[in-house]
Amino acid sequence: MSTSPPGLAAVSTTPGPDHDRTEGSQPYSGGRDPGWWKRAPYLIVLALASVVFTYPFVWLISASLKPRTEVFDNALIPRTLRLENFADVWDYAPVLTWVGNSAVVGIAAATTVTISSALVAFGFAYFRFPGRNVLFGLVLATMMLPQAVTMIPVYLIWNKLGLTGTQVPLWAQNIFGSAFYIFLLRQFFLGLPRELFEAARVDGSSFFGLFWRIALPLARPALAIVFVFEIQASWNDLIRPLIYLQETSLFTVPRGLKAVIDTFGNGGEQHWEIVMAASLIATLPMIIIFAVAQRHIIEGIATQGRKG
Amino acid sequence: MAVTTANVATRKVLPGGARPTRNWREIRAAYGFISLWIVGFLVFTLGPMIASLVLSFTDYNAIDSPEGVGVANYRELVADPKVAKALGNTLIYAVLYVPTAMVVALILAMVLNRVGRASGFFRTVFYLPVMTPTVAVGALFLLLLNGQEGLLNRTLRLVGITGPNWTTDTNWVKPGLVITMLWSLGGTVVIYLAALRQVPKDLYEAAEMDGANAWTKFRKVTVPMISGALFFTLIVQTIAALQMFDQAYTMFFGAQQNSTYSNEAALFYVIYLFQQAFRFLHMGYASALAWLLFLIILIITAVQVRVSRRFVYYEGEKD
Amino acid sequence: MTITRRGLLAGSVGALALGATSACGGVSGSGNDADKGDKGDTGSLSTQGFGKPDDVGQARIDAFKSAYPNVQLAINEGDFDPQQFLSAVASGNAPSLVYLNRDLVGSYAAQGAIQPLDDHLATAGIKTGDYREAAIKEVTIDGKVYGVPEFYNTRNILVNGAALQEVGLTLADVSTTDWNKLHTVATKLYKASGGGIARIGFDPKLPEFLPLWAKANGADLVNPDGAPNLDDPKIIEALTYALSLINEQGGWSKFKAFRDTWDLFGAGNQFVKNQAGAFPWEGWYVNVLVQSSPKVDLQSVPFTDKQGTPISFENGSAWCLPKGAKNPAAAINWMKVMTSTDTWLKAGAARQATVEKNNSIFTGLFTANPSADEQIKAKHVKPGQTGFHKAIENYYASTGYAFAIPGSKAGSEIKAAWQDAVNRALSGQQKPDAAMKQAQADASKAFSAAK
Repeated sequence: MSTSPPGLAAVSTTPGPDHDRTEGSQPYSGGRDPGWWKRAPYLIVLALASVVFTYPFVWLISASLKPRTEVFDNALIPRTLRLENFADVWDYAPVLTWVGNSAVVGIAAATTVTISSALVAFGFAYFRFPGRNVLFGLVLATMMLPQAVTMIPVYLIWNKLGLTGTQVPLWAQNIFGSAFYIFLLRQFFLGLPRELFEAARVDGSSFFGLFWRIALPLARPALAIVFVFEIQASWNDLIRPLIYLQETSLFTVPRGLKAVIDTFGNGGEQHWEIVMAASLIATLPMIIIFAVAQRHIIEGIATQGRKG
Repeated sequence: MAVTTANVATRKVLPGGARPTRNWREIRAAYGFISLWIVGFLVFTLGPMIASLVLSFTDYNAIDSPEGVGVANYRELVADPKVAKALGNTLIYAVLYVPTAMVVALILAMVLNRVGRASGFFRTVFYLPVMTPTVAVGALFLLLLNGQEGLLNRTLRLVGITGPNWTTDTNWVKPGLVITMLWSLGGTVVIYLAALRQVPKDLYEAAEMDGANAWTKFRKVTVPMISGALFFTLIVQTIAALQMFDQAYTMFFGAQQNSTYSNEAALFYVIYLFQQAFRFLHMGYASALAWLLFLIILIITAVQVRVSRRFVYYEGEKD
Repeated sequence: MTITRRGLLAGSVGALALGATSACGGVSGSGNDADKGDKGDTGSLSTQGFGKPDDVGQARIDAFKSAYPNVQLAINEGDFDPQQFLSAVASGNAPSLVYLNRDLVGSYAAQGAIQPLDDHLATAGIKTGDYREAAIKEVTIDGKVYGVPEFYNTRNILVNGAALQEVGLTLADVSTTDWNKLHTVATKLYKASGGGIARIGFDPKLPEFLPLWAKANGADLVNPDGAPNLDDPKIIEALTYALSLINEQGGWSKFKAFRDTWDLFGAGNQFVKNQAGAFPWEGWYVNVLVQSSPKVDLQSVPFTDKQGTPISFENGSAWCLPKGAKNPAAAINWMKVMTSTDTWLKAGAARQATVEKNNSIFTGLFTANPSADEQIKAKHVKPGQTGFHKAIENYYASTGYAFAIPGSKAGSEIKAAWQDAVNRALSGQQKPDAAMKQAQADASKAFSAAK
């Protein structure tokens, strides 16, 4: 669940032969650039859909600022502004620590998986060697493998190593690469002109040099996609922190938020305004990342659907 | 962006790094590069799969050492009404969610594909919910879907409809979860939009010349041309749906020992597996559950691959 | 459990001070270390399940700190989470102490996740006779004591006086003695609005309070030897009855969805908003109400069986020693200090200070230590004629006659079995008798499987 990026893993095989225009300025399909009067009905549909998609989010922000009695009312602007909700969350729960923990785990997870997946991807992309197709087939196959199947033995491994109760199991598996990212980066490396490498070989570069000095710098945008995807996947990961973390001070954001929900939500005190404030705090860093890396993210997702 | 800038040069590439070489140095180097993955595969995938198969024939609580019990776990698995319940819930949910998500995402993508420049903005709007952490989504929709005071039913009330109790009525819990998950379908929209943009416009023109109407164009041109993307999302979304955990666990399960708010209608397979393994420490039994899940996903995926072979159009086949 | 959190939101407690770990580990109260034990006075001590301490919890933590200034305390905030705890034990990262509901003790004892305390208690001079018998019974499995009981929550019926007045009923009408009459009363107090519920008339508090309804009908869910007795016809009858109360008040899914929206701990609670008529509840809730809404017309009556005899069931938390706990001697010292009469008196004084600061009412402390309860009551609980005073009086009375569900080596499985069964019955998936029969089958299997 958590090792796959935002809801997706890929099975497609080749990169699109042509440059994908994600900006929408070049209408591909219909080919016609319809006049505004023709577009109007579509724009209205989209505007309505946008309201549906945005409303829950606005509701969340607004509920997090309301006193408890007004949480369920449907006013987008709170009648009574209650910023103390955030102070209450802060008082109850070490949210800042959790955000810090998630940042550390996320960066560790993303850094390791980016480097290792790039290495492996380069190996599959550049070389032709006996067993390559079988092994790459295995890489693709593991993308289909449910995390739940290996969950227990993997737990036992970390337990043997004495690392349960620490944050290490949340990211250390990434040292060995992740199938989806290997796939994604291999696609990218395959797209690089081979002449670049041949020239470097002639100049006496080692294979690692090819990877490090030519492939990696050129792949920076693709690496950024992998990095951001993994940050988000790590930020969402609930099941592993549930299994591995016992001390509140080590909790990551989703695990901490779940604890807040257990205490303040259903079966607890039903202080929904606190739950909403905590949820907003958990969401904001992702929104910031989205604002910064939006193009990379959309591009990365779009890549998966290009050709099947 | 820049990713694709680099892709422009694709043509010059030797596809697949296909150089017929048997240079030992290269082979060694190649295995050097992929060695990390091989180690990871052995230690964290293949090894654990074998281990969990072995464990599934034992009684093991992680405190005392495992005890062989033969096929007792599998026998229990067949008799356990909760396994049937969890499996049923999971399949029903997948059947409800996957097609709905695909249809809604395709409609949105097709509309987006018609508005030219504005699509960038709306695409961002649709994608934004995907950035919301799954636990926060669960908490939020627990409130939005409350049958008495929630936003959804309040809105329905405005148009004179009394909505169901999405979070407490066992018949409506799964549809409620489908709604929750649909909020985050922006990724699928983006994928479909990218695929739609690759459909060559001359195909539509040719179809028009043959007098095809909009529906025929959709069926004969659009669907075949994006069938790869459709197939891809079908497989990925099905696998994800069969492993539903985060949102359902957030909304209906938790630390409280009493199950006052844990709802059997939301008992999904992975939740049950997780509880058996880590709440009751029935690791042997849970391993059997894990293997059953593996087989189920394997079979479903295999069927999907087989069936879709007949429908998916690969551009390459034309050549 | 919940009692430990409440103060924080009322804004009355400076609970900020206690971070994830003890920020001021024993610096403050180092004055008096004359008579500390010769063991268990150093090292570190970690807890799980204690939640976030309120004034009462903090006073007791301080008491421990001043008695054992050299013990490093690490209190993991957050409520007890079985999955979190068992993973910790299995991983060899068990906390030194775990704080959990007494009804869980038996199963963890059988699983070997917690240790018997008898020898430790003897060494430390803790006498089980000093605790309430019902509470000790809950934590005794096969003759061994596995926990030191802390709070002692009993149930009475809390009534919304405003609702009574509105429909022309009196407190005497709210009685669980005559089940037919209770039907009428519940439907009278119930109020619908549009397609929803505006007020729940009488909430039988299912599934949690099934033991109370069963007892009222003359049956126990668990036999004295710990074996489940879930398909007793009297229990099925009680469940059928309680269920019918809910079905006449909108049905479960509406009922529950409506209850989920209540502002239980806030100034807009179901009394203030007139969303509830009457329901049985634990005693600590009076303290919540007195802080969030001291003006409401709160009334109360004991829960009675069909003969009119007051009954109540009690439960609460206990301190246990996990398997593999480091520093058991200090853990035992903690248990002793936290539940001793002296410490409870300090906690009582702390609560009194809060009460005075908020100009409120002392609503009683209900613990498994009867002598502490008596002294605190004598010292702090002021007699009065308001509904709150009457309620407090009722809760003190019920500590005298409350029953406990006997400890069982399959306690948590049995509880899960009957709660799931009640949930199935509530949602209409099964009829009460089929549900309870399945529960009995599940529970018996777990009971005979438990070592």
